Amino acid sequence: MTREETPMKELVEYIAKALVDDPSQVEVTQIEGATSVILELRVAPEDMGRVIGRGGRVANAMRTLLRVVAAKQGKRVTLEIV
Amino acid sequence: MSENGLPQAIDVTGSTPEEAIEKGLSQLGLTRNDVIVEIIEEGRGGLAGIGAREAVVRLIPLRAPHPAPAESEEDTAEEAEVAHEVLADLLERMRVEATIYVYRAEPASPEEIAPWVLDIQGPDLGILIGRRGETLSALQYLTRLITSRRLERRANIVVDVEGYKSRREVSLRRLAQQMAAEARRRGRTVTLEPMPPNERRIIHIALRDDETVTTESVGEGEHRRVTIIPLRRSEH
Repeated sequence: MTREETPMKELVEYIAKALVDDPSQVEVTQIEGATSVILELRVAPEDMGRVIGRGGRVANAMRTLLRVVAAKQGKRVTLEIV
Repeated sequence: MSENGLPQAIDVTGSTPEEAIEKGLSQLGLTRNDVIVEIIEEGRGGLAGIGAREAVVRLIPLRAPHPAPAESEEDTAEEAEVAHEVLADLLERMRVEATIYVYRAEPASPEEIAPWVLDIQGPDLGILIGRRGETLSALQYLTRLITSRRLERRANIVVDVEGYKSRREVSLRRLAQQMAAEARRRGRTVTLEPMPPNERRIIHIALRDDETVTTESVGEGEHRRVTIIPLRRSEH
């Protein structure tokens, strides 16, 4: 079986785990559509601030990098922190 | 440190509340947004010091102090190494094939510590720069943030793509000189195109020591732009 190719999910997981206090609670779900991808990021409630950042700066930087990956696949991407 | 890992609240005095706040912030190593300020005593100047009362404020920290930047050569080499690893990890997950070259930047001014530059090189990397360098900024921001978190101190690193920033810096410095000359010649304020913060900073620094003009940023957010204002001859 070949490994599923999910760079966007891996990217969000990597960044979130590197920034939170509790990496074990980082969970990313990828919902694949025909022309769009939705990524849902879950972290421990105490870590929300770390993945959002002041004024949403961290979340927006993640979205910017995700767009690069999505563009290569011809898709739009949405990152939701839930 | 208190139980929650934050520094204890402190009471500070000064001739005005503002002065007391400033004093307290530097004691804590924090900025205004990191504390709750309670004014305990407004204070008053009195007449020639007679009846004067000091202002007293209480600062309640909301976060731990900003980590101090690295100081030794060894520390900064470690920064470069960790940042290199983080950036490579990010690029791998973005499925971007590239090589990262690390070099020491030239300091913008003698009093500044030169940062390490991680220059990403490879075919077809325009996508890593993005509109107005937006993607490159995000990449640098996250690389710095993750590196700082790992090292538990502020990492002074710059991420570049194929020397984009350093080339851009050279042309921005040239632009600054040309526009300053234009402002002097016309005796009028010259307004540049909107630029991101790092680029505006290059213009401000380029003209910092020019006594014939002064620079100022105007406008908000994406529209913020540098203006170059000629100084009248009497002010030279």
